[in-house]
Amino acid sequence: MYRRLLINIYQVRNGLIHTQNTRLPSTKCKERESFAPVIWAPCTARPLGTSSISFSENKENSTSLSEDKEKRPEENEAKEEVNTDGQKSTEISNATLTLQLETEPVDKPEDSKQVEKTKSGKESLLELLGAMKVEVTTVRKIRPSKTPRMSERPDQEPMESTHSMFQHATAEGSQQQGTLNPALVAAVSAAASTLPNRHQAESELLKQLRKHEAVPDTQRRADGQNIGHIIADMKVGGRKTNGRSSARPTSQIRFDDDGKGYTQDRGITGELDAVRRRKSPFTSKRLNIFTAGMEQDTLSVLGPTLWDIDLANQIVQATNQAPRNGFEEMIQWTKEGKLWQYPINNEAGLEEEASVPFHEHVFLEKHLDESFPRQGPVRHFMELVITGLAKNHHLTVQQKKEHIDWFRDYFRQKDDVLKEAEA
Amino acid sequence: MASSCSQALRHHVCKSSRLLRVHLQKSWTNRSFEGAVCVSSSFALNSAADQQPAVSSPEEIVIPKKKTWSKEAVLQALASTVKRDPTASDYRFQDDPYLTPKTSSEFKLFSLSQESGRNAAKYFINTYPKYFQKDYAQPHIPCLMPDTLEAQIEEVSEAALIERIGMRKVKAAVDLYDQLLQAGTSVSLDVTNQLLDLICFYGDHDPAQENVPEQRNEETEDVQDEPQAKKGRAAKASDLLKATWKEKNNAERIFALLSEPNTHSYSALIRGMVKYGAYSKAFSTYTDLLNSRLKADVHTFNALITAAPEVKEKYNEKWELIVDLLKQMAEQKVKPNLLTLNAVLKALRRCGTVGKSQAFPVISEMKALSIDLSLASYSHLLAIFYKPGAPIQGQTDILQEVMNEVSGKSFTPQDPDDAQFFITAMRICLDTKDMEQAYRVHELLGVGENWRLLGNDFQQNIYYARFFSLLCMMENIDVMLKWYRDLVPSVYYPSSNVMRDLLQALDTDNRLDLIPQIWKDIKQLGHANRQNLVEELLTLMAREKHNQEVQESFAECALDIKKIYDTGDRGKVLLNWTAGSLSDLISVLLAAHRRQDAWDMLKLFKTHNRVPSEELLNKFLMCVKEDGDVNQAVELVQISAGFCLPGTPKLIQRVQQEFELTEQQRKMLSDLEIQSFNSE
Repeated sequence: MYRRLLINIYQVRNGLIHTQNTRLPSTKCKERESFAPVIWAPCTARPLGTSSISFSENKENSTSLSEDKEKRPEENEAKEEVNTDGQKSTEISNATLTLQLETEPVDKPEDSKQVEKTKSGKESLLELLGAMKVEVTTVRKIRPSKTPRMSERPDQEPMESTHSMFQHATAEGSQQQGTLNPALVAAVSAAASTLPNRHQAESELLKQLRKHEAVPDTQRRADGQNIGHIIADMKVGGRKTNGRSSARPTSQIRFDDDGKGYTQDRGITGELDAVRRRKSPFTSKRLNIFTAGMEQDTLSVLGPTLWDIDLANQIVQATNQAPRNGFEEMIQWTKEGKLWQYPINNEAGLEEEASVPFHEHVFLEKHLDESFPRQGPVRHFMELVITGLAKNHHLTVQQKKEHIDWFRDYFRQKDDVLKEAEA
Repeated sequence: MASSCSQALRHHVCKSSRLLRVHLQKSWTNRSFEGAVCVSSSFALNSAADQQPAVSSPEEIVIPKKKTWSKEAVLQALASTVKRDPTASDYRFQDDPYLTPKTSSEFKLFSLSQESGRNAAKYFINTYPKYFQKDYAQPHIPCLMPDTLEAQIEEVSEAALIERIGMRKVKAAVDLYDQLLQAGTSVSLDVTNQLLDLICFYGDHDPAQENVPEQRNEETEDVQDEPQAKKGRAAKASDLLKATWKEKNNAERIFALLSEPNTHSYSALIRGMVKYGAYSKAFSTYTDLLNSRLKADVHTFNALITAAPEVKEKYNEKWELIVDLLKQMAEQKVKPNLLTLNAVLKALRRCGTVGKSQAFPVISEMKALSIDLSLASYSHLLAIFYKPGAPIQGQTDILQEVMNEVSGKSFTPQDPDDAQFFITAMRICLDTKDMEQAYRVHELLGVGENWRLLGNDFQQNIYYARFFSLLCMMENIDVMLKWYRDLVPSVYYPSSNVMRDLLQALDTDNRLDLIPQIWKDIKQLGHANRQNLVEELLTLMAREKHNQEVQESFAECALDIKKIYDTGDRGKVLLNWTAGSLSDLISVLLAAHRRQDAWDMLKLFKTHNRVPSEELLNKFLMCVKEDGDVNQAVELVQISAGFCLPGTPKLIQRVQQEFELTEQQRKMLSDLEIQSFNSE
């Protein structure tokens, strides 16, 4: 990966010094990102000079996050231009470099490499990039946790749109950009993918490059080329790079220069992926020991055994059975049988008659059959009696029968009298 | 009802329309028309509601099933209308306002005494049944009558054996069984199995005699009180410890006598062995069972799964044994139940990393068999993934998943371990500082009958303590205080440590002005005698300057605290003055310009053999100076000299410079100066 990146950059750039430049601006970029977009504006404005257009643009950027996003792309384009301008920019970039060195002592060891770079080719570049990486990782540690959120959004953008953006950008940009841009961006993303926090790393790399471009821009302006163009381009380009980064496989292991060795990606993109991929572990695959429709061999069930009673006991003991209010206490008493049952229908208290159907109560003629006369006043009287009994809801069926039986006995005893009266 | 209503309406409409006809005005007709439409539509509604099933599908008439209501249905409906009153104490204590508990110890004492009163009554009724024969209740209430504890059947017969088994008299039942065998009577297999159940359940020991009525009661009465439950558990634990499975005990002997033991006999034996710790023996008995070509029942397997982690050393061996048992279940066509699942999960808790990988497949397996998880399953699951004391990174989502599963569900108690869920979940919330999940857990507690699963009072206390500490740590002060008002003291009596957390939360959110209020609560909760707590309170009050009003209330509070120091409990001193607490108290009083009170306090240094700090004396001097009380300033210097403080000369100097002294005082001061100089 490194190598590829190196080669890319090497090819793209005319001079080695450029790479140094890229590294240096990165520190600035980091500053910007760690604080707020607002800070960025003066930063870029400085190298660009006093052009009013660029200033206003920067202000806009600082106001909104989305615009900030867009800006990053522009910078890529700008970078490319830098490459073409190549040597011209070296002087200026060197100047800015020294300034930065003063501000940031951390960079100093790398300065020495700068000198070497001019001598050796690829190897020095390698070293440089390694140094870059270190910076990146350290920055990541320091940076407040909020910054990753910025990178979240571009992630979600679909690839296609970024592509179109890219085209748009290239169309708008200067003619040279067309050739340089894809290679550079690819290089950056490739490099970033090797870093522990791919996304951040990439954006940082791009920012570095962007810084870099800013320098040539000043020259250009001096030349009278239109900066407005460049700035317009910048806006669009950023999305493209972001889109790329999101498209990268997440399973890749990245090298962490903190000394932890290879670490699994734990960046925000990884988390997002996890969210996307997440499914409940409760739906995970099963053991496949039992078959679902299995029928149980029914064993002779003898009612609750001692063990069952004990289990119930344990459950009751473990849970809170205290009533919370008077009604619950009444429920408890009802269950214990201490309390008269609250009526739940109009058959409350119907224990002994519960199994007796209503017609037993109402149709009592069948009890009159045998021993009563078929007709006459006695019959008439008894019919009135059963009508009355049928409507009486205070007596049980048994009591009604007894009532009728009493009359049967009575009339039997008075049989003589009745016969005398010829009833 | 509805029809009569609509009839009345129609009548009304008719009347009004007749009225209309009389008047015959356009506007009126309009109105009446509207009214008629209204009424007719309401008619339509009524009729539609009445005949909806018939109208919607004339061919098939769906006759609704008869709804059988439980006998508590009405009461349950009524009970559901009652919400918890955060200002009231527990229902148990509402009978007697005098016995409303204010502290956790009172709560324990009162609930315990209520319960023990019940048990005492039951004990007397059962011990002297002859005095309680009169049956006043009409109809008869069996649970109010004494239990028969003496065997009624004296002769040697199977019926007598059944009776003794029913009364859980292990020894007597075994003796009777032996007698029966000696007499040559054969005992049926079922009864023998019941006897085996009894022996195995109690591990061939008679259950403790008092425990018998107690255990019976527990099913019916509310025996959820913490001390009692604890006692029960302790008794059981000690039973387990001392009562181990003995070689050749009565169960094994009787089992050996059986000519053809069936599944039930084996099941009883294996469960008894597992219960009393003879794990490997249980497995060999299981092998015997297989050899005699019988099938085990689900309870046997549950017991064996419980025993599985005991007989193997390595994690994966344990797991393999469990899988093996499950496979045998499938072979023997035994359908696992919820308790199987819980037993497996519980065993997985002791399988380390294997548990983490296998827990979810096990759950999916059981879900496929349409076994619904109980809270115990979730509790085991959480315990598998969150070991107490282990690092908790990267696993917060398990709790989240579990909460996603259980949220909004109402659970019924199905497993004794169900009551562990809320405590476990809240512990994890506290460990991971996850306020969001804690709220979800607490929300779940409010669903349906879930509150029952919070467990006994002891567990409730743990749960609320965890929840409240989390609130103190994570929530802003207003929300926290809202919860505080809601929970304390109606359901939760915070311990002194939790009160300290609360104070710290007040401190971090700069709401120290609430301290006097909290102090009142502390006093009521009976923590006023906690030295640490009181001293922390004083330090917080003394630390910063507040506005006058707050200082005034602080001073009141400080004097109140002083009273606690002074009085003590029944002549016993509860709190000891320390130099720190004294000086804090004095600073609070000084800040409120209560110089006289502060002066009285200053004298306490002497009586309690404490030494005031220079800083305090300086502060005091400032205050004295503001009031321009020369005498007191001199006295202050004298006190300082009395303690031989190194700062005394400076103090003297200040007094000399800043106060207008009389000649006598000047002399006294210079004397003191010399004195202190000499002492140095």
